[in-house]
Amino acid sequence: MITGLSQPDRATLSGYVRDAADGEALIGATVFIPATGAGTVTNAYGFYSITLPKGFYEVRFSFVGYTDTRRNIDLNQNQRLDIELQPESKQLEEVVVAADEEGVEVRGIQMSVNRLNIGTIARMPAFLGEADIIKSIQQLPGVTTVGEGASGYNVRGGNVGQNLIVLDEAAVYNPSHLLGFFSVFNPDAVKDVQLYKGGIPARYGGRLASILDVRMKEGNSKEFEANGGVGTIFSRLAIEGPIVPDKSSFIFAARRSYIDVLARPFVDVLRDGARLNFYDLTGKVNYRINSRNNIFLSGYAGRDIFFFDSQQGFSWGNATGTLRWNSIINDRMFSNVSLIFSQYDYALQFGEDERDNFKWNSSITDFTVKPSLSYFINSNNEITAGLEAHYYRFEPANAVGTTNGQAVDVSIAEKYNLETAAFVSHQLRISPKLSAEYGLRYSMFQAFGPGVVYQYNDTVPGLRRQPVAATSFGRGEEMVRYTNPEPRISLQYQVNPQSSVKLSYMRAAQYLHLISNTAASNPLDVWTPSSPNLKPQLGDQWAVGYFRTLNRKSVYEFSAEVYYRRTYNQVDYIDGADLLINEYLEGDLLSGRGRAYGLELYLQKKTGRFTGWMAYTLARTELQVEGINNGAWYPTRFDQTHNFKATAFYQLNKRWSVSGNFTFLSGTPTTFPTSRYVVQGILIPHIADNSRNNVRIPAFHRFDLAFRLEGRTLRKNGKERKNTDYWIFGLYNLYARRNPFSIYFSQGDERAGSGAPIQSRATQLSIIGTVVPSISYNFHF
Amino acid sequence: MNKILVVVAPLFGLVSTSCESVIYPDLPEAEAQLVIDAWVNNKEEPQWIRLSKTQPYFENTLPPPVSGALIRIEGSDGSEYIFSESDTLAGAYVWVPGAGERLGMNGVIYTLTVEAEGEIYTAVTRMGRVPVIDSITFRVERGNQFVDDLYLAEFWAVDPVGFGDTYWIRAYKNGVLLNKPSEIILAYDAGFSRGGRLDGVPFIAPIRRGVNPFEQDERGRFLSPYVPGDSVYVELHSLSEASFDFLTLVSLQTNRPGGFSELFATPLSNVTTNLVNINPNGKKALGFFNVAAVSGSGRKFNSLDDISNP
Repeated sequence: MITGLSQPDRATLSGYVRDAADGEALIGATVFIPATGAGTVTNAYGFYSITLPKGFYEVRFSFVGYTDTRRNIDLNQNQRLDIELQPESKQLEEVVVAADEEGVEVRGIQMSVNRLNIGTIARMPAFLGEADIIKSIQQLPGVTTVGEGASGYNVRGGNVGQNLIVLDEAAVYNPSHLLGFFSVFNPDAVKDVQLYKGGIPARYGGRLASILDVRMKEGNSKEFEANGGVGTIFSRLAIEGPIVPDKSSFIFAARRSYIDVLARPFVDVLRDGARLNFYDLTGKVNYRINSRNNIFLSGYAGRDIFFFDSQQGFSWGNATGTLRWNSIINDRMFSNVSLIFSQYDYALQFGEDERDNFKWNSSITDFTVKPSLSYFINSNNEITAGLEAHYYRFEPANAVGTTNGQAVDVSIAEKYNLETAAFVSHQLRISPKLSAEYGLRYSMFQAFGPGVVYQYNDTVPGLRRQPVAATSFGRGEEMVRYTNPEPRISLQYQVNPQSSVKLSYMRAAQYLHLISNTAASNPLDVWTPSSPNLKPQLGDQWAVGYFRTLNRKSVYEFSAEVYYRRTYNQVDYIDGADLLINEYLEGDLLSGRGRAYGLELYLQKKTGRFTGWMAYTLARTELQVEGINNGAWYPTRFDQTHNFKATAFYQLNKRWSVSGNFTFLSGTPTTFPTSRYVVQGILIPHIADNSRNNVRIPAFHRFDLAFRLEGRTLRKNGKERKNTDYWIFGLYNLYARRNPFSIYFSQGDERAGSGAPIQSRATQLSIIGTVVPSISYNFHF
Repeated sequence: MNKILVVVAPLFGLVSTSCESVIYPDLPEAEAQLVIDAWVNNKEEPQWIRLSKTQPYFENTLPPPVSGALIRIEGSDGSEYIFSESDTLAGAYVWVPGAGERLGMNGVIYTLTVEAEGEIYTAVTRMGRVPVIDSITFRVERGNQFVDDLYLAEFWAVDPVGFGDTYWIRAYKNGVLLNKPSEIILAYDAGFSRGGRLDGVPFIAPIRRGVNPFEQDERGRFLSPYVPGDSVYVELHSLSEASFDFLTLVSLQTNRPGGFSELFATPLSNVTTNLVNINPNGKKALGFFNVAAVSGSGRKFNSLDDISNP
């Protein structure tokens, strides 16, 4: 059936592009035919396929950080060509880049995507010296947070729960360690991170704002290696190597906080059952069955455990597993089938004895099947199609309270949902200058019994709605069904070899809602599925961008993007909403709409002794919810008008390098009261016009610096050391600015007596109000 | 959540990085509004209602009183209580019970009417029920290297069967009411919230032990809430469900321990009121009206022999 589409005068060149040193597949490597201008990039598994008229070609394979490789090909029949690129040697001479080099950002069709490789992340200055993927992407344009220490991030005005974070395709439902100070991804096990902020391809869905696609390393298929280190927070170890050389390899990486171990001799409670630690384990095995078939098995497990004594505390963690099978069906067809498991759970228990305690746990479990097929019709046409099905099981609360020996089960019934989607996407080059990718994702969400659906009364917007009727559903009965077509389209016009203009539109539907009404998201925030009372969130985004490569001695890439986003059925909360263990949660939720727009400028210098980028975002993010701010539009907690970030790396000499981060952010909105009054001896703040987010806290700016010292590469006898090591010395918030996280209003600490006025005050809080030094030691052998 | 942070943050050295400073930002001016503080109960003692005005947030003076108002409460059982302004305390209105008289019968609906500054405000509430306090005990929580031994008071009572009883637990240490925002202890049935559905059982331990004032010395060490010689008196005040929601919001908006708990704070917003101007276009009032049934019990902490878990 495929042969009918193949043209006899054409032939296909296909294969994998890998790292020559460790055999890792290279994602997004460029395959370019200078003579014709045709080209492609490798997919997420390092595979490429390009179909050309038969003939002789010079083919160039390139990837940033690797030496270009050119091959002369006599393409008279379909040909498999696997290429290994050599990493650039670490030398001080500037890398000379060919004058005809064109950046992927300029020539590719995808816009609104930012990519960080793990080497870059590892070199960025980091809080307490711990390289962190989620903190790193906060240096990119269009990404904001509610403040330092907060978990998660906000993309183009979306809230934290509108980001899909996938680790080897498995959704990670809470990416935070220690309430958000660190993220769960071990940098030693990660290869590549891509953040899609707009124009999201049809193969991704389920969240409105962004996709953070984290790909794990496959493990060195050539030789054993170990990487590790001791930092301020974590001690880390990763081992990787071939199981069968060039056929099968593995990586296993572990991290654990170790302060509790150090503190144990000095802290009694740690010997009496208190536990305070967090850890994560990441592993992956791959096996090349033959030249056409690869399988990968990867998994993650991590947990935060905080117990004040042997009986009381809480813990949370994620577990994921992904089994993938890549198959090259023929030179032009590449398929992938993934079976994915992901679970997030938390557990709390309080009470010193069995007569009085409270035990509660909650979880979300996600089983996913995702087959997809890419068909490289010719160098101008590529079709990707696939299916995705998630089966979710939610346990909102399994909870038992025991009071004076009497146990009461206060659990909330489990919920069962199915989210399915079919997607197809066609990428084509309409003319040498104009390319397009258009696709459709059609998604469906169902809720199944057993379960109860409540009907709520109507009331004044902003007040709690009370249940007035209930409908019960039996096991397997469909309780609700939603369907949404999600069109996606991107256009790219190549103005000249150095510059292009891109346009995109996307619609996305989101069926799971992160229920959180606090400034920063916390581990107890529950994911809640859409239901008859809770409609799916919808979002539209339009973006236009200009992309340009500037060739000087080194490659500079510049982009400017403008986006506009509308969102519907946005979840908000009544004042005093009861979000935890509440059977009638939906009565405490409000629904609104959102709008966000902005300009993002990005200038990156990719090669040379001095590298780095600058990102500036001018943006506005607003919500309109009946019952909040008198029903008028108001800025979200993470709205930042100006957001400027600069990250730079400089190689001082053979052993020393330095990196710096600078951040300037407009103050985020907050609500100030106008007045005060006293009821029953308590001083209550009051906002006369009942507005929300009516002022802004002072601007935030911070400079971080890190020095990296490479260990000696030669032994004392002059021979080269096999092992390498390096130190990182960090200074976070170098000039010790007390950046405000929030300003809150309260009455004085003194007990109010009758007859004396109560004192009122405002307090400005800085989460990190001082310079934070750090040191870490890292080794490789 | 906040309590967890207090324990977790120091271990990771994070507390030393955060800092707070008291500031006085400029706040917009706003017109003063009438505030009606009408919390009465069925105790055989004079019942007070206070009328005042809102003030600019940073004006640290006594709230301006509102005099000359006419105040009455009418019960659905035909009862009527007229409040008259005190001669000595401006803005304070009092109803003094005669012998054997009480304001508040179980299940009766009460309507408050306030005529002040040319406007008429009303509020409606229903008096709920309270269980008796069975006993008060003292317990010790053994210290460790961070905390000394702490002596805590605990009251024992059983929520009556039937969903939706709500209470405000008010405690007095040596006759002084514990009235800091952090000391607002509320119960929905025997638990914290509506969703908890803990009905008809003894109050849960954090509520039973909510009657303890936690204060720190100048070095930051916690002081024992009670020491031998101290006395404790506990009152359970019944609330309407609306009053429970009001006090829940008051606690949320006023109990701000600061520090890392601010990461998980909800936005500042106005608390509710059940006072309605009978003229929909008239000026709005703030405050709340509740009629409480009260049960109370007290005990003196004579010596360490009183400890129930020695």
